[in-house]
Amino acid sequence: MTTLLDSLPQKLGTADQWTEKGGVHWLDPGELSVRDLCLEMIAAHARFITITAYQLPKDEGIRLEYHWDLAGQLLGFPFLLKAEPSEDPKIESIYDLTESVDWIEREIHEEYKVDFTGRVYEPLLMREGDKLGVNLREIADICKPEPGPSGQEEVKK
Amino acid sequence: MERVCGICSNIHTLTLCQAMEGLTGQTPPPRAQYIRVIMAELERLHSHVLWAGIASKLMGFKTMFMTCFEIREKIMDVLAAISGNRVNYSMNRIGGVNRDIDDPAAILAMIEQLEGEMMKTVIPIFTTSSTARSRCAGIGVLTEEKAISCGVVGPTARASGLGQDLRRAAPYAAYAELDFEVPVEKAGDVRARLFVRALEIIESCKILRQALTKLPPGEINSGEEKFKFVTGTATSRVEAPRGEVMYSVSWKEGSRNPNRVHVRTPTFANMPAVRWMVMGARLADTPLIQASIDPCYSCTDR
Repeated sequence: MTTLLDSLPQKLGTADQWTEKGGVHWLDPGELSVRDLCLEMIAAHARFITITAYQLPKDEGIRLEYHWDLAGQLLGFPFLLKAEPSEDPKIESIYDLTESVDWIEREIHEEYKVDFTGRVYEPLLMREGDKLGVNLREIADICKPEPGPSGQEEVKK
Repeated sequence: MERVCGICSNIHTLTLCQAMEGLTGQTPPPRAQYIRVIMAELERLHSHVLWAGIASKLMGFKTMFMTCFEIREKIMDVLAAISGNRVNYSMNRIGGVNRDIDDPAAILAMIEQLEGEMMKTVIPIFTTSSTARSRCAGIGVLTEEKAISCGVVGPTARASGLGQDLRRAAPYAAYAELDFEVPVEKAGDVRARLFVRALEIIESCKILRQALTKLPPGEINSGEEKFKFVTGTATSRVEAPRGEVMYSVSWKEGSRNPNRVHVRTPTFANMPAVRWMVMGARLADTPLIQASIDPCYSCTDR
């Protein structure tokens, strides 16, 4: 019997098939836009769970993994965002299609400086006027002790 | 990760350990899976009773607040009897649990006494009292349509007619071997959230009775102290007292630490829905409406 999960790749128009790995059914969305994927997921009565962002090494960009629940099965759709060093990585927002993404899109916008196009953001509440994209890795760089007489390294001596 | 939440600390280590077991190829022995269920349900009991106390206070029902906190103390005594700790239990480890339940019959007796107390106080007052009805019925409504759109989870979703519960839909630990109901209410108001949690207290007691009776013999962990992580990402989901918790853990083989740990907590999913619940509400009702999702701010902030 063909399950909804089996029929989804065809509905999504992707040649890829599900790969189960690490507790997730993964599917490469190929050319499918994140908005079309969202519409198909809503039509299939899937439930949005979260987006997990990864800052890839060097200039490889940002990887966003969209997670949906379909009848208890965890689905994952990876999107790779590449941008010139002077530009912010961009992807279409799906906030107008499902408001459940509101806070996670905002969080990724604030921490990874990803621009979810087609939506507005509220200003930073606790860091008003501060720069975006300050994630843990960048904070670690900022907090590195300054070399020299006034730096932490010097004090230790 | 135990300190992500001050109330459901066990759930966070359980979800993290399950994800890490996916990266290390560890399978906890059956006894450990049952002990994980027992800890998770005791934590649900103490979380729901704590919430019941706070909700009572916000309703202006202060004697009920004291009663709930007295019961919660006794649940924490059971948790301390098993783990040695009242809040951060340190029970979970990769491949099992750290402590055994040596005398399940004694724990079962404590649970039955607690259940009797709750059946005489919390459950009837929350399901039949006119004070609870007058303060909670018809306020803070989240319709089923909005609940789907907002992606709410846990008792907040179940009080708006959505029957989602990972213990049933995607069973983990020993839940597949246990019999329980998933309470669902249609009204979507504060009273429905009260009802769902009250009924979940009864279901948790039912699960605890079964788990303690059926506790299989054997080891409580794999016995390994050092683990070999493979490169990759593993994800785990658990039904916490407030709803679904999800952990994604990425590891590079040979590394001492994970590359990334992403935590999606239930309050992070539920909080944005409050703006719909408070629309048209009286200002005096808003604290109770906000509290009705059982918000956890430390979970939200992670």
